[in-house]
This record gives sequence, structure tokens and C-alpha cells, in this order.
Amino acid sequence: MRALHQVSLTLKPGEVLSVIGENGAGKSTLMKILAGVQPADSGEIFVDGKKTAFESTRAAMDHGIVLIHQELNLCDNLNVGQNIFLGREPRKFGIVNSREISQKSEEFLRRVGLSVSPKTIVGRLTIGKQQMVEIAKALSVDARVLIMDEPTSSLSSKESASLFELIESLRDQGVSIIYISHRLAEVKRLSDRVIVLRDGEYCNELIGDEITHANMVSNMVGRDISQFYNRTPHKIGETVLKVNNLRTPHWPQHPVSLEVKAGEIVGLAGLVGSGRTELLRSIFGIDRPLSGSVEIGKQTVKIRNPKEAVNHGIALVPEDRKQHGLIIDLSVQDNIGIAGLQKHANRFGFANFQKQKSDTEIMIDRLGIKTPSDRQISKFLSGGNQQKVVLGKWLSMAPKLLLLDEPTRGVDIGAKQEIYQLIEKLASESMAILFVSSELEEVIGISDRAYVMHEGQLTGELDRSELNEESIMRLATNTAELKEAKT
Amino acid sequence: MGDRGTGLLKIAGITTLLLLLWCILIWDSPLSFLTTNNLENLLRRTALYGVLGIGVAFVIISSGIDLSIGSLVCLAACLLALFLHVDYVPVGQVDVWQVRADASTISVAANHGFNEGDELWYYKDRRNKGLVKVAGIGGTEILDGTSVTVLTVDPAPKRDQDSEEGKPVGKISSTFDVINYGGNAAELDSNAPKLKHNDKVLFVHNSETSREKTVDQAGENNQLILTDEDSGLNAEFRAVPIRKTPYMSIPLALLSVFGIVLCLGVIHGLLITRLKMQPFVVTLCGLLIYRGLSRWLTNDQTVGFIEYQETLGKVATGRWETGIQFMPVKVDPAGDASSWKLVWDSAEGAQMFGIPYSFFIFLGVIFTAIIFLNLTVWGRHLQAVGRNEEAARYSGISTHRITTLAYVLCAVLTGLGGVMFAIDSNSIAPSSFGNFFELYAIAAAVLGGCSLRGGEGSILGVVVGTALMQTLYNSIVLLKIPDELEFTIIGAVILFGVAGDELTRMLAAKFRSKEA
Repeated sequence: MRALHQVSLTLKPGEVLSVIGENGAGKSTLMKILAGVQPADSGEIFVDGKKTAFESTRAAMDHGIVLIHQELNLCDNLNVGQNIFLGREPRKFGIVNSREISQKSEEFLRRVGLSVSPKTIVGRLTIGKQQMVEIAKALSVDARVLIMDEPTSSLSSKESASLFELIESLRDQGVSIIYISHRLAEVKRLSDRVIVLRDGEYCNELIGDEITHANMVSNMVGRDISQFYNRTPHKIGETVLKVNNLRTPHWPQHPVSLEVKAGEIVGLAGLVGSGRTELLRSIFGIDRPLSGSVEIGKQTVKIRNPKEAVNHGIALVPEDRKQHGLIIDLSVQDNIGIAGLQKHANRFGFANFQKQKSDTEIMIDRLGIKTPSDRQISKFLSGGNQQKVVLGKWLSMAPKLLLLDEPTRGVDIGAKQEIYQLIEKLASESMAILFVSSELEEVIGISDRAYVMHEGQLTGELDRSELNEESIMRLATNTAELKEAKT
Repeated sequence: MGDRGTGLLKIAGITTLLLLLWCILIWDSPLSFLTTNNLENLLRRTALYGVLGIGVAFVIISSGIDLSIGSLVCLAACLLALFLHVDYVPVGQVDVWQVRADASTISVAANHGFNEGDELWYYKDRRNKGLVKVAGIGGTEILDGTSVTVLTVDPAPKRDQDSEEGKPVGKISSTFDVINYGGNAAELDSNAPKLKHNDKVLFVHNSETSREKTVDQAGENNQLILTDEDSGLNAEFRAVPIRKTPYMSIPLALLSVFGIVLCLGVIHGLLITRLKMQPFVVTLCGLLIYRGLSRWLTNDQTVGFIEYQETLGKVATGRWETGIQFMPVKVDPAGDASSWKLVWDSAEGAQMFGIPYSFFIFLGVIFTAIIFLNLTVWGRHLQAVGRNEEAARYSGISTHRITTLAYVLCAVLTGLGGVMFAIDSNSIAPSSFGNFFELYAIAAAVLGGCSLRGGEGSILGVVVGTALMQTLYNSIVLLKIPDELEFTIIGAVILFGVAGDELTRMLAAKFRSKEA
């Protein structure tokens, strides 16, 4: 798959350039190429007008380009100075010169405005301060271009504010910054220029006054919804799932309430990391919710583990197919049969392999799983067929509620359409479906209704008539934040 | 489950290795390898170690490890020995708490059953002992917190004695008339309690040394046949019947041992699943704790089952005779061993080949384990959990319970192995019994195709692996390889076996990717 196609950008000294786009638009890939993490298939990079190529992060670093990852790359057990000079420790007679590390570190710490001793263990610092250390580390290699990938994703608003001040002061010192964020308010505040990517391609460039929230959203989305989704009207029945003020361990400050009815396809939209997966995990009993209740068919139930969820007729197709969805080294039959083993066993605990085999054959047939035999190891199937095996496992249990987490990720276009048709069909058979998707098109295409999440919070609920890319994006990036920024 | 083809290939590979080793042994030293004695030994050792191997295989398949096996074998053995410990207690014996010479009284525990006129045998130590007659029974009183009855006795005791530190002064028990004595036959008074085979009788006399005799057979009316004759004995002696009292009966003792190891398995499982401790650490601590416990419980003394030769001993040494008799002999008795033949007739010195009972236990374990692992829900869940615990959990499997189950099964099989080893060796030195057994078990499982990555492994593989390990051990003896090299050779074979396995895996993957 091509993540990025013929994108060009230029960066001037002392400039903050933001790169925005939907999930999967190719932002991260572009940055990884610039920082030498992965090579480009074609294209050129010029630094100071000289053509260069980066085979490694080290090479990029030597040209003053440093990537600061979303997840910080610091050693918790080492102190600030040791982290800043990690791998480049000044030595004296072959022995690390701690005094020199401390002295030099202090200078960089002063530049980023962080008042901690270089001897402080990094693990004791807050995430915000660790980020500052990461920036100090970048400065220590004489960075002229700092690429920051979602730097505020785990910072408090106060920490974010001091990060912005630092970014502005670095810009004034002549350092160029490429800033990647989903938070459009931040982008608007910081950027001199914004580049919008869409589907791995360059879409538009916004400069100065053009950088408005509305402008950015319409540029990020705005494409035709193809005739990909053949919707058949289906009857919506009684409420199957009702979630009341559920607080997940990941976002304890935001209780979530929602409901799904029989025969209804409900989308759960939002940006990556907005807490949708965590919500499904809590409903399915993988993480125990901190508080709140779940009702299945008007009955309040306590779900402490996936087994209990399955017993209540819930199924989850997880996001990470290879780690959570399948046991990749086992056969198609073993995978499809695993959930039903207990159910179909006789009273002495002996498994019913005839039932398992017939169920598998039914599912292979019904879902059109392309496999040489039911004994084929799942590892050797394509992504789409693997996903169908996961679906087959749950459909053989005839669940009332099907939770799908990014059901079409890593699946080719043909299989995608088959999965959509399957979802439609299941809904028409009055199964309740709640699905997480980061692809707006998909959410709009198949949902009867959608909820949108932003940072663990349900920011809105959209009816079929209200569903469009802008309305979702506005809720996903949180209009409240926008209003706050305006006032 | 899963790659059935590769599993069979693995077993085929290791079986080939085993057959090859047998061929070498038959070729090199047929005269010692093919004796019924050696083959029976091989079967017995395979059975004993195989039970442990199957136990640890469950844990390895769950992607864990159990290092506590050796110590747990020792603990189970020591517990069994302690539970089956035998005491010989005179019938109706009670404690004596005070002796008064002037008053001619002794105070005995109030729960005595003596009558006036009874002759009693008082025993404190080798000097202070003797027969006394009850002249009168006094009232019950409290002496130092113990309820005692004061007996007036004749003859009067020589000196006063008092209990010290809450310990009784001595013991006293009823005696009975010896009606008849001759050869090794004795007849006791008909009032005497009925004795059984293996009980004892202490013959006491005021002026002769007392003698303890073991009952061989007991007839009606206390006509006893003793195990030996004693010309010094006669009907003047009085008899103290002594009963053999084990601490527990054999079934109860076995049940207790299995109960205890089962609980230990549950504890392992809970620590690993609930507290998220690493299996290596938990069972390493087990290794240390159970070893220490065994030594402490037994006071670091060697324990055994001398009293159980006819029950447990028979199970350990017993064998089912197949009716096949053979013996390898030289063709030319004066020549060398290179030309040999098997003789099949007992007239020519062939010996009966018997299958040890322990091997039948092993067969039972194999059968049950295969069914459990492959046909039951829990066995299939165990394999799934070993492959990918997260995916198994996402599929609604109670992964914690399944993992705990693996440790419980391992502990119980280790307990069974411990019991089998214990009665087999009949002498358990708590500081060394079972040392390294966990490593033998793990090695056999790994050799048999279990992967420490989890999820992979078959019971048959483990059985063949164990047989291979034991044959290796056998060959070190028979091929006259210096036994200092024992570990080196076993280690090298495992290393090559597993390396070969990985190599075929890689080649298979390469082949498949080319095919695709």
C-alpha cells in the first residue's frame, strides 16, 4: 500500500510549519522519511540547497533534523544529563565524564527554560518536563529542524502552554519546527503555514489568515462518498446495549453514556487515541470500568471479564487482529471454534469437534473465507480473510451485540466491501452493531447513527441526516476547544 | 491443535533418534543391554521420570515454567514417609505422673482401664522398670493440671519420682498371662487383646531381661506364632501386647499428600495469574522453600518405608510377568561378545521379562493426559492460552483459571512422581532426594518437542523424550563412558535435538514462503 504519494514541502529557517490531515493521511510516514526512520521509495531531500539522503536517524541528525516522537524516547532510569548525551557521552580516558555532561546539559536546559538539575532521574519528572528534556536533547545535537509528532497528546493544558512558549522562542532563535497535531486550535495558534495532506497526497497549503478552523476541516475532508455503500433499510428494534456513565481506567474524568438498538449500526468516530477502543474494551470486560453500569436488553449486568461478556451475547472484533483477534499460529478451524468450545462441550468437558468443524464450514461458506482448507494456519491468510475468520468466530456464537474495532483496517478494498455488506446483513437480521472507525467515509457510509469522541469524552451524537465529514471532524477535534481559543 | 504435521514430524524425528541409540546399544553391548533386568530398569526409570515430564509439559505448554519439581518430589516423598510413620504402642498404656515409695502409690492418668489385682508393667528407663500388682484404686485428683488416679501397688516402689517440665515420669501398661510357650508358639491369656500379623509382644519378667517378639501369625484365642524361637522364654513371663499403629492408613496418607501438593499448585497458579509474578521466580522460590521444609520436617534424617515392604514395597518392585523369557548369550562361551544370540528357553538361562507396575501407572497418566490435552475444552484452552494469552482472553477464555490449572496439574503429577520415586527408592535423604529432577523433566519435555514459547508440545513427544533421556543415561553406563560426562552428554543431545528442530522449522518456513 502506498502511504504517501508525491508530496513536496519546503521549510524556511525560523518557521513553524504544521502538517495536518485525517488519520492515515500520511503525516507520520512523511515525518519518518524526513527524520531517516524509513527510506522513501522515490523523491529527494535538499538541505541548504544540497541534495542529501538519510539512511538513518543518525544521518538526519547530522544534518540537524530531529524527530520527537509521540511516545518519548527517554530512559526513565537515567538522569537528565545522561539522557541528553545518551550515545554521545563526553569521555576522559575512556571513562564517561559526568562533570562535563552536567555542565553542558545545564546550558541546554536553560535554553528550553527547564529549571531542574541535570542529575534528576528522568522517571521522576512529569511528562511535560520530560518533553522539555527531549527538546533539550535535540538542541544538544544542534538541531535546526525539530519535527514534533503530536507533542501535546499527553500534556496538561498548562504544560502545553509552556511548550508553545518554548516553540515560539526556538523559532525566534532560528530553529524551524514541523508541527503535527490533530488539535486544530494549537495549529492555528502556532503555525506560520499549514500543509494539508489527504490520502497520502498533498492537498492544500494555508498561510496566515487562511488558517481557520473551518478552512482546515474542509480541506482535510471534503471528498465524494462513493457508491461503495449499498444501504438497505433495516428495522430498528429494542435497545440492546445501554451504557450509563461508564468511566474507563484510561479516561477516568469522562463518564460515557450511549445506547445501541437491535438492527442498528452505530458508528463511533473520533481521532486515534480518543478513547473509543478503551470504551469497547471496558464494555467487553477486558478492562474493568471504574464506575457506571452496562445494560444488556434492559437488564443491568456486571461484566468482569470477556467470558462473562460472551455469555451475555456480546462479541468483540478487536483492532489488533494479530495480537488479540486471532491465535495466528492456529488453524482456521481452531480459531473459529475457540469461542464455542465451552458452549458445545458435553458435561464431562469433552469438546465437540464435529460441531466445530461444521460451524467452520458454515462460516467459510457464509463469509466467503478464501482458504485452502479449514486446517490452514491463519498466519498464511490475507488480512481480509483473517478478519473474516475473527468475524466467523463470533458469528458462530450468534451474538446479540457485535462490537467492531476498526474492522476494515489493513484489509484490501474488495474485502472491505464484503465486510460492509456483512455488517448490513447482520443488522437486517436484527443484530446490534457498534463499530469504531477512523475512516470518516466509512462511518458516514454505513452508520444509522454515530457518536463522536474526543479525548475520552463523547462530544456528540449525530443522526443519519446530520452525518457528514465536517460535522464529525468538528466534534472529533472538539469545537469547544475552538470556542475557547476564540475567546 | 494447529500445526499437526510439524508435531508428528517432531515425534518422528526424536523417535528415530531413540531407535538409533537402541541400535547402537544393541550393537555395542548386547549382553548387558538386552537383559530383562536392564530393560525392566529402563522401563521403570522412564515411567518415574515420565510422570514428571508430563507434569511440566502442561506448564510449558501454558508458556510457563516450573522449577520447583525436584523439591516438590522430595516434599511429597517426605510427607508420605511421615504420614505413614509407624509407632509400636503397648495396648492400654498410660502415663505415670508421680511415684511415692512410702505410701506405696503411683499416680497414673485417669483414663486408665486397670482393675484391682492386675499386674502392670512399669517402665521408666532401663533401670527403673518392673512388674507391680494393683492393691487398691484410689480417687481421682488433679496433679499439676493433669487428672490422675492414685493406685496402691505391691511391691512398693523403691524411691519417689515426680514429673518434670510437664513430662510424665514413665509409662505403665497391663500385662497378661502367658498360658503356654514352646518353640516359636505362644498362647496368651484369653482376656488379652487380639493381636495381628506384624504386631509385637513384649515378654517381661521381674528378674529376667525382657524380650520383644514379632507376631507372624495369630490364631483364635491368642495362639500366636512368633517370627523366631527363644529358648530363654517360658510361661513364667508375662506378656505386654504391642500394637502396630501407623500415623495414617495408606489411602489417607496418599490422599493427604495429593491434597497438599494440589494446594501448592493452586498457590503457584494464583501468584502467577493474580499477582502477575513471573513463573520462574515463583517456582524458584518453591524450589528453595520445599527443600527446606522437607529437611525441617524430617529433622534432616533419612526416612523410608521399612514397615511397608509387603504393601508399598510390592508395588514398587512388583512387575507383571509377560511370559516371555529371553537372555542374550555369547554364541561361543569362550569367545568375545561380537557374536551373540538371544536364547528364549528358561532351560538355557533365559529370564522372565516383566513390566514394572509403575509403568502401568505411567501408561494411565499418558492416556489421561493425551485425552485431557486434545479432547477436552480445558486442554484446548490451555493450548490456546499458551499460544497467545491475550487473544485467548479476547475470545472469552478464563485465562487465569486455565493457567492456574496447568500449575495444579504439574504439582499433582509431581506429587504422584514423588510418591512413586519414594516407594521405589525406599530411602529418602531430604537434602538430596529429587535434586535436578525439574531439569530432567524440562529437558525431556523440550526434547520431546515442547517449546518454551508456549502452546506447542505433545504428550507422546514428552514420553519419547523421557525414554531418550533414560536410554542416554543407560548408555553412559553400558558404553563405559566416564560418568563424570553424564551431564555433558545429556546436555549436548538436548542442544542438538532442539537446534535440529529449529533448523527444520526455519527450512519449512523458507519452503513455504517460496511456495507462496
